[in-house]
Amino acid sequence: MAAGHSAGEMQKAYIKIFSALMVFTLLTIVAAKFIHFPESWGSLSTVLHVTIGLLIAVAKAWMVVYVFMHIKFDNPYIRVFIYVPLFLFAVLVFALTVLGGPTL
Amino acid sequence: MSALSLAHEPVTGIRHGKLGMWIFLASEVMFFSGFFTAFIILRNANLSVFAHGATELNWPLAALNTVNLIVSSLTMAMSILSLENGDKGKFQLYLGITFLCACGFLVIKYIEYTTKFSHGIYPGTSSFFGLYFTMTGFHAIHVIGGMIPIGWMLAKSFTKRGYADSGRVEILGLYWHFVDLVWIFLFPVLYLIF
Repeated sequence: MAAGHSAGEMQKAYIKIFSALMVFTLLTIVAAKFIHFPESWGSLSTVLHVTIGLLIAVAKAWMVVYVFMHIKFDNPYIRVFIYVPLFLFAVLVFALTVLGGPTL
Repeated sequence: MSALSLAHEPVTGIRHGKLGMWIFLASEVMFFSGFFTAFIILRNANLSVFAHGATELNWPLAALNTVNLIVSSLTMAMSILSLENGDKGKFQLYLGITFLCACGFLVIKYIEYTTKFSHGIYPGTSSFFGLYFTMTGFHAIHVIGGMIPIGWMLAKSFTKRGYADSGRVEILGLYWHFVDLVWIFLFPVLYLIF
């Protein structure tokens, strides 16, 4: 068990995160399938859909990592194993897309 | 050498098994990063192919699978808590639900795949479906990979000696939450936003 936290507190935190994950999943579906931006917005509407969908996904992922995977309660050294691959992923995407990767 | 220094990494004080799992998960992030990067590049080069491909997918089934994995993440976390509190019955119940959710996930994936095949859609149909089958296929392999130790721990908990190593269940839990994490991104990227 996480140091300094009772089983009851942990259980409450899990239920809260579970509820939030369900609500955010519903929001993802509503935002992608039932919210339509004006056609005159063109590609901006796709950009908005992608941005909203990914922002919700990042929020959900952070909740899972922070509470379910105990980053909130655990040894801070463990955060290195999240930040380093995330940084490398960002570099990979940035290098191959913005800086110009393989030509297709 | 003390038992603590044998079980824990001396500088960080983190249990070796847990540290090993985090290093493995970091490599897994990079593994799936490759797929997501390929997806971004190919999508930007073939917008219409990807938009059409995504409309062929069954998003309500995928949404059901999302719920499946979120429930399994909760029950996995609760099973660790139950074992730490010495409540064997609840540990078995929660871990059993986790296992059932994993089975449900695979059944839904099977339905999805067979429906695609019956419509003549295969990995070679388009670049979108190539990535769809590869990404979801590797994810499904990870689900199966998690089900094996879950099933083993569950079976062992029903034996006379039972299962009491909550540290190992916690390490397995990290892996299982990671499987959920990958799906959290696969679901909107493949099924919803195009």
